[in-house]
Amino acid sequence: MIRVGVIGYGTMGQVHSQSYKELENAALTAVADQEPKRREQIEQELGVKAVSNADEIFQDESIDLVDICVPTYLHEEMIAKAVEAGKHIFVEKPLARSLDQGKKILALTKNYRKKVGVGHVVRFSPEYVAARESVQQGEIGRPAVVRTFRGGSQFPRGWQDWYADFELSGGVILDLVIHDIDYLRWVFGEVERVYAKSTHGRTTAHLEHAMIVLRFKNGVIAHVEGSWTNYPGQFYTTFEFSGDEGLISFDSRKTAPIVQITAKQSEDSKDVVIPENPFLVSPYTAEIADMVEAIKDDREPAVTVQDAFDTLRVALAAVESAQTGKVISL
Amino acid sequence: MVRIGFLSIAHMHAFSYGDAVNKLPNAQLVGIYDPDKERGTKGAETLKTRYYSDPVELLNKVDAVIICSENSRHREFTELAAQYGKHILCEKPIATTIEDGQAMIEACEKANVKLQIAFPCRFNTPIRRVKDMLDQGAIGNVLAIRGTNHGQMPGGWFVDRELSGGGAVMDHTVHIVDLIRWFLGKEVISVYAEADTMLYDVDIDDCGMLSMELEDGVFVTQDPSWSRPSTFPTWGDVTMEIIGTDGVISLDAFAQNFTLFSDKSNKVMHKVYTEDMDFGLIKDFVEMIEEDREPSITGFDGLQAMAVALAAYESARRKEPVKLD
Ligand SMILES: NC(=O)c1ccc[n+]([C@@H]2O[C@H](COP(=O)([O-])OP(=O)(O)OC[C@H]3O[C@@H](n4cnc5c(N)ncnc54)[C@H](O)[C@@H]3O)[C@@H](O)[C@H]2O)c1
Repeated sequence: MIRVGVIGYGTMGQVHSQSYKELENAALTAVADQEPKRREQIEQELGVKAVSNADEIFQDESIDLVDICVPTYLHEEMIAKAVEAGKHIFVEKPLARSLDQGKKILALTKNYRKKVGVGHVVRFSPEYVAARESVQQGEIGRPAVVRTFRGGSQFPRGWQDWYADFELSGGVILDLVIHDIDYLRWVFGEVERVYAKSTHGRTTAHLEHAMIVLRFKNGVIAHVEGSWTNYPGQFYTTFEFSGDEGLISFDSRKTAPIVQITAKQSEDSKDVVIPENPFLVSPYTAEIADMVEAIKDDREPAVTVQDAFDTLRVALAAVESAQTGKVISL
Repeated sequence: MVRIGFLSIAHMHAFSYGDAVNKLPNAQLVGIYDPDKERGTKGAETLKTRYYSDPVELLNKVDAVIICSENSRHREFTELAAQYGKHILCEKPIATTIEDGQAMIEACEKANVKLQIAFPCRFNTPIRRVKDMLDQGAIGNVLAIRGTNHGQMPGGWFVDRELSGGGAVMDHTVHIVDLIRWFLGKEVISVYAEADTMLYDVDIDDCGMLSMELEDGVFVTQDPSWSRPSTFPTWGDVTMEIIGTDGVISLDAFAQNFTLFSDKSNKVMHKVYTEDMDFGLIKDFVEMIEEDREPSITGFDGLQAMAVALAAYESARRKEPVKLD
């Protein structure tokens, strides 16, 4: 049984905690959050120990794995403490806010005797896994131009509104588009150069839209796009991979197998339309199951620190390109 | 009645333009000149008109011409028509070099004939509706636009650099750039592009990606790739996602279609029932001549769009953004 402590009970901490509860070979032991309201929630929703300080998790010798779900800019400091305490580590993406932090994490975890995994969850999303297999089986021939989109939902509101502070979150590129950057690296290999545009710094509207052009070492040209909106929109993703023998096209808005529509029940309620896309195992549970198994089997987890660092480099190059207007060669 | 002739029908748009002329009550298709006698004769048969082996003979019988030659020959036909005092509708791109494009504009000014460039997308009904929405400020200030103008590999002279002046980037950049200049009234000031040959065994770019900066800090990306496989249910697309300070407009110009699963042709097809934009283009051209007004799409518009495509090629070579004057 792998005993787990989660740090940070915000959006992702809640998702991860639920996933551990679903696993038979893991036991969620404690969750840390310094917000009293969050700790109330932890006790109510999970029935596990809620602690206010992450140090209590690091010091708890019964805990094997710490799962870091605090805001991005705090990842490095938490990883450092977890390494000092000799824990296995699972950390949300992006690996860090800056290249410096990323390098420190690389150095800290080099030759580390415990496992460290990073939550690039798209590698566990069935549609993305299936598309990768299709490409690898040569179903589109030689890949040439690829496009991805991720977004359409409202600008995220995190603890102390940290997402709105570019210095802390890195904006939509580092936080959201990085999912696709990582996925594309996984499918098409390393990136040669990056040219990016973002609305960040161009408007006071509470939104960010970014469009990135990537050129891969194998020649593939990619258009990678993401958005946080200032209106209450629906989150969706799309991808399209074209090759010399075929084309893959996906739009999450068109793949929900179930739509439930219910008439309003009273004068002041509303008609409700709920699309559903059920899977027995969510991608989040799958990534966490992989991490737990990696510890048990003494193997590397699906996404290593080096891998996440290489993705981080590309994402930060895109951020830099968007700010400077320059092409960044990697 | 506006009498119209074709100077070359090398570009397949000649057929839908010719159909439109035939449908219009105030226009008459007088004939087709084409340097290729066989193509010209066949085309004349299809469009129920006469083939002329001598362009001057045709020019003497018309008020205006439609030039659907290979891109690199637009200049010679434009200069010829201008010399005979005929108004001109020239297929896009205006030419293959800035020098040729400028010479065409000057020749028409000097001869006092009208020069219109054929950007039919400006007459697509959903696109016109989006133009109205933007004019009314429906989504606040536009911040960014993501465009695609995908297609299938056209083959023929389109993949002969001497005749086309460029591949996918030249073929498909100009439509989106023209629409964006029209929508926003802003010029492209810099362009970054990737362009390559990865999809077909051709000696010209068949795919690429552009990222452009407009005046006032608006940015635009555009995918011009010939990346629709031959099994794709339609020829390609014109799409835009327009991001504004107050909202977003998603445009798919040819979404008005149904799907045909055809055992007859072993294909799945999108049957488009969007109103015919080529008809709108020709109708506008004919009215412009009748009313003696300025063309709705000028030679300058054609030149600006082509300049972006040319700068894109330079950028792809230099691997850095290129500024436009
Ligand atoms: N994989 C995904 O799909 C995905 C989605 C969203 C966010 N994320 C990533 O997950 C991480 C967390 O994002 P989020 O949206 O859950 O953030 P959030 O703001 O919702 O939650 C962060 C939580 O951490 C707590 N916290 C802050 N500092 C702490 C500390 N020192 N000790 C203990 N608790 C502390 C806060 O009180 C808050 O409850 C970020 O790196 C983000 O990029 C990943």
